Amino acid sequence: MTRTVRRAALSLGMILLACLVAIPLYYVVVNTFKTQGDMVAAPLTPPSEPFLGNYQQVLTDPRIYRSFVNTFLVTAAAVLLQLLVGALAAYAMVVRTTRLNRVIGGLLLLGFIVPGQSTLIPLYRTLVGFQLVDTLTGLVIMYLGGSIFCYFLIQGYIRTLPFEIVEAARLDGAGAFQIFWRIVLPLIKPILVTVGVFQTMWVWNDFLLPTVMISTPEKRTVVLQVYNAVSEFTTDWPMFMTVSVVALIPMVVFFVFTQRHIVNGLLAGGVKG
Amino acid sequence: MATSTLPPVTVREGLAQGRRRRRTGGGWKQLAVSQAFLLPAVLVLVFLFVVPLAQSFYWSLTDFTGYSTDVTFTGLSNYRTILTDPSMLAALGFTLLFGVGTTVIVTVIAIPLAVQLNKRFFGRNFVRSLWFFPAIPSMAILGLVWRYILSPIESGVVNSVLDDLFGIGPFGWLSDDSLARFSVILVGIWSAAGWHAVLYMAYLQSIPSEYYEVARIDGASPRQQFFAITLPLLTPALVISTFLLMTAGLKVFDLPYTLTNGGPGFATYTITQSIVVSGVSQGRYGLASALAVLFTLAVALLAFGQLWLTKTIERRFV
Repeated sequence: MTRTVRRAALSLGMILLACLVAIPLYYVVVNTFKTQGDMVAAPLTPPSEPFLGNYQQVLTDPRIYRSFVNTFLVTAAAVLLQLLVGALAAYAMVVRTTRLNRVIGGLLLLGFIVPGQSTLIPLYRTLVGFQLVDTLTGLVIMYLGGSIFCYFLIQGYIRTLPFEIVEAARLDGAGAFQIFWRIVLPLIKPILVTVGVFQTMWVWNDFLLPTVMISTPEKRTVVLQVYNAVSEFTTDWPMFMTVSVVALIPMVVFFVFTQRHIVNGLLAGGVKG
Repeated sequence: MATSTLPPVTVREGLAQGRRRRRTGGGWKQLAVSQAFLLPAVLVLVFLFVVPLAQSFYWSLTDFTGYSTDVTFTGLSNYRTILTDPSMLAALGFTLLFGVGTTVIVTVIAIPLAVQLNKRFFGRNFVRSLWFFPAIPSMAILGLVWRYILSPIESGVVNSVLDDLFGIGPFGWLSDDSLARFSVILVGIWSAAGWHAVLYMAYLQSIPSEYYEVARIDGASPRQQFFAITLPLLTPALVISTFLLMTAGLKVFDLPYTLTNGGPGFATYTITQSIVVSGVSQGRYGLASALAVLFTLAVALLAFGQLWLTKTIERRFV
């Protein structure tokens, strides 16, 4: 009896608290269905009659689609390259431990520790020299720094794999690249997915590098597009909220499909490479 | 694949056993190929880390502006400027405040939250999702949204609610120095608490339930169980979580930039914003580089500290 009561109380308390945490989210979504007048009059009540004009306006604006395409291209290219560079290095490092490799391994730790902000200014200047500033290619190059993080998580995972598989393949006369492509990559798929999910969230959501690198409106990423929408809709709050909600949809969908891997990743961070 | 029939030798152990044998075997061709696999990572390391870091360090000792060709060596004067420039001092101060503030408060919220979320109750998945949600979208977009919510004018949501309920306000959530700092940290906590609770939860689930059963039989109160079992066994998670929070806190940029743009004045100015503004917008490369060097040292110190702490804890608990 008391146990049931206690559980009910816990439920009630936790749900109330969670709703409090989610109020900003509710506020944003509910106001996308209002006109500006409605919003100012009653910011927190649901609209008496949902107004779809905001969505109509946002979804017929080609700029938001263009920014989605830009972000998608940058994220796909950056994350795939990061994973490839990281996996190649991890495999080479684990399979063969020469003295040189150990030195390189130590240096890679440097790349793991140094934050992006520290190298931002010199890299920016170098990219200006190569005329890669204000290009999506330049942005992808900047994100390649994330390969080192991928390397560390992947090599930690490779070390836990059964040793015989790689060894046997080598004795069977398979070439190094063949072993990597046919045997190692499929074996390390779980960690590739987990790391890929984390890197995708980082690149897609990043604001620092796009705001420093991109100035042409046609090359904006989604986050940059939303940031610039603020000055455009300074007084039209519901319009801005609608742009934000539309911008968030892909990431939320992505999360729904990958949340299992996020929890795995949180644990992998603890296992450590 | 019948991995279960394989003897449980991992790559790590295999390497340890066969190290001497393997160095002689393989041949030069194999060696060349495996070194070729390392090449992309080495290129990334050299061009995205080593060279720019060296450039930063060199520029930090000069008055390089990016335009003039004659660069003069100025010694430590850039570093001296940082320690006297009000905007940079403000950036250092607020970044530290944000880092420490979010780390401490998120930890204090996330551990009990994880314990509660781990219990069975009606609507648990729904509650977990709501807490976790703020970690998914871009911090920059969340910052912009909160800018409307905390708008200092009367029609700002928080202000209008406070006025309706209690007849107080309006408060300058983003226009008063201390309140602006408070607001930025509050939103930072809001966005990180759920994520870190999930991290703790992942570790909580690995604690054997027998420990609690034995403790209950011995008559330990829930409070005693928490402090004697849960908390010590969460130490590895605590180290990771606080490290992630602290590094993220020191690197913070998106949230203050979009929520307050560093203002009012320099009240919520951050190190990263300072590097970007002085380096990219103002072309004061020397100064920005000096700040970047100091920043790198601080983060590296933190990382090695965490590494050392993890090792110490592993030795004590495992």
